Amino acid sequence: MITAKATVSDPVGFHLRAAGRIVKLAKTFASDVIVRFNGRAANAKSIMGLASLAADHGSIVDLEVDGPDESRAADALVHLIEVELAHNEQQEG
Amino acid sequence: MRVASGIAASPGYAVAPVHFIAREAPEVVRRDVAPEDVEAEIARLDAAIARAHEQIGTLIERLARDLGPEESAIMESHLLILEDELIVGRAREIVREEAVNCESALKLAVGDIIGQFRTLEDDYFRERIQDLHDVEDRLLRILTGSEDVPVSGPPVPSVVAAMDLAPSDTAAMGPRNVLAYVIAEGSTTSHVAILARSLGVPAVVGLGPDVARLADGELLAVDGDRGEVILEPDAETVTRFSELARHASKVAAKLSHLKDEPALTPDGHTVKMMANIELPVEVEKALDCGAEGIGLLRTEYIYFQHRTLPDETEQLAVYSEILDRMAGRPVLFRTLDVGGDKVQRYLGARKESNPFLGWRGIRFLLANRQLFKSQLRAIYRAAARGPARLMFPMITGVAELRAAREICRECCEELAREGLEHDPDLEIGIMIETPAAAMVADLLARECDFFSVGTNDLIQYTLAMDRLNSRVSYLYQPLHPSVLRLMRDTIRAAHDAGIWVGICGEMSSETRYAEVLLGLGFDEVSLHAAQLPKVKQVIRWTPVPEAESLVDELCACDTAGDADAHLMRYLEVKKAKRHAREQEAEKRD
Repeated sequence: MITAKATVSDPVGFHLRAAGRIVKLAKTFASDVIVRFNGRAANAKSIMGLASLAADHGSIVDLEVDGPDESRAADALVHLIEVELAHNEQQEG
Repeated sequence: MRVASGIAASPGYAVAPVHFIAREAPEVVRRDVAPEDVEAEIARLDAAIARAHEQIGTLIERLARDLGPEESAIMESHLLILEDELIVGRAREIVREEAVNCESALKLAVGDIIGQFRTLEDDYFRERIQDLHDVEDRLLRILTGSEDVPVSGPPVPSVVAAMDLAPSDTAAMGPRNVLAYVIAEGSTTSHVAILARSLGVPAVVGLGPDVARLADGELLAVDGDRGEVILEPDAETVTRFSELARHASKVAAKLSHLKDEPALTPDGHTVKMMANIELPVEVEKALDCGAEGIGLLRTEYIYFQHRTLPDETEQLAVYSEILDRMAGRPVLFRTLDVGGDKVQRYLGARKESNPFLGWRGIRFLLANRQLFKSQLRAIYRAAARGPARLMFPMITGVAELRAAREICRECCEELAREGLEHDPDLEIGIMIETPAAAMVADLLARECDFFSVGTNDLIQYTLAMDRLNSRVSYLYQPLHPSVLRLMRDTIRAAHDAGIWVGICGEMSSETRYAEVLLGLGFDEVSLHAAQLPKVKQVIRWTPVPEAESLVDELCACDTAGDADAHLMRYLEVKKAKRHAREQEAEKRD
């Protein structure tokens, strides 16, 4: 298992759209991903779980990634949360 | 006969039988399942999920077709909720662990999540419970075999009544046979209210639980102007309302020949007639009413339609669609004007004790650079497809205009570097809605391409009256000498600097002010599409010198009351003269 930290760059934090993009990306990996914030934990493959974290813009979330592709998954998710969400570029699909 | 009062969400009159849209969640009874049937029960749940997937997919297609591709984004998150292990996975677990039917397992799983959301402070997240319930109801309706009930539109012309109508309901129902909407929940900015205004159908929202007592087929009279619904109307009321509805369509038909005519005064002066819109779906109505362009696109409604912040690509799609539909006619995009009465929690705005004097308009945009840039980039990119104009709200002085233009320059540089098609030379203008901006209009006019006067806010700020406070609402006085002087000075400053000036507030939609706007010298008038033919008719009747002397007389009045009375007298005399002329003409024929 590896852990990583990511600063939420989305201007409005983890709302449904941002949560949806994280879920879509997390589901492309075999690893389990847990996101922790403010004493709560959520499965990164659950949109309602992520949304319920209520992580604002600028807050730091902890990722725990466990599985065969954990390092690739961690890198991709950190990049999404820290960089791509800020740019508001839409992914395909 | 009984009158129920709600919120006037869309004007007009209708009298017709009720078509009640019931969206109550199906009754769920807990039932034990024999151990050997547990897997079959789970298979039943999975089949329902697959069916819901299909339904939502169809709805997304339909929304994209009827309301533009962007509206479908609302439903996209429902697909992810449907796949969420916290809900469907948990429901499967409950079926296994407790050996119960999947309906009650689903209710328990959803109840758990809602419990978690309830503890959150943010209203936005609490509101998302609605999305969750929408998905839950859909699954329950499929499981209980009542799935087709809620989506059917009225078979005959009807008043559609409902506790609430989700975008998916109105999309599934379509506008056919809908003469009015009568809704228990909601406000003037809820989806159904905006849709009703776009379709030109009367709507009363926020009526409360009374709506639940309406019976299917019961006769109802709807007054969309006053926000009233008359239950069990007597014969006289029915006649009156049918006449009002008929009269409205007669007036519209009478003026329809003006559609392709310019707003040309008898002495050869033209005023550009534009429409105010909020959503792409309104473009058709605007063109039907003869709009020469969009004089105000309030982009915040495009944001409100999305439950999350739309990104650059999504905005680009909506803006391009509007420009495409307008086919070469100009479209004026006002950048996001949040704050005041439109505070949206998801944009990070917080409740303020004085929101109209607070963090709104350009102040909010300059502080949220990322968000501002994503909108500007989308507008610049859309401008490559048609004549787009860009306008900043709530400007108080040159410094804000310069700061905003600097960000525009930055966006254009980035777009050029990224090789993305855009129009770096689109016209940039500002709203004149603060007294400060009106007073320094000469300075502002040197640094932008046009002005648009927003009368609602200009009146509110000039007369220091909160327009939501009914005790001071009498001070909403468009003809107050202070307001007239500010408008006059603004127009003079614009014309001295060689730029054009328009008006886009409520004042421009009121026919009785049409001569005043002409006399003040506005180059462009932007208003509700439905009012456009009437205002155009007045302009076509009025020579400019006549309108100018009217304005001189109004400016010479000491009080708004005197000015109002003077205008009334002028209009009465004019009406009598026209009447006499028309009778004369009839006699000759």
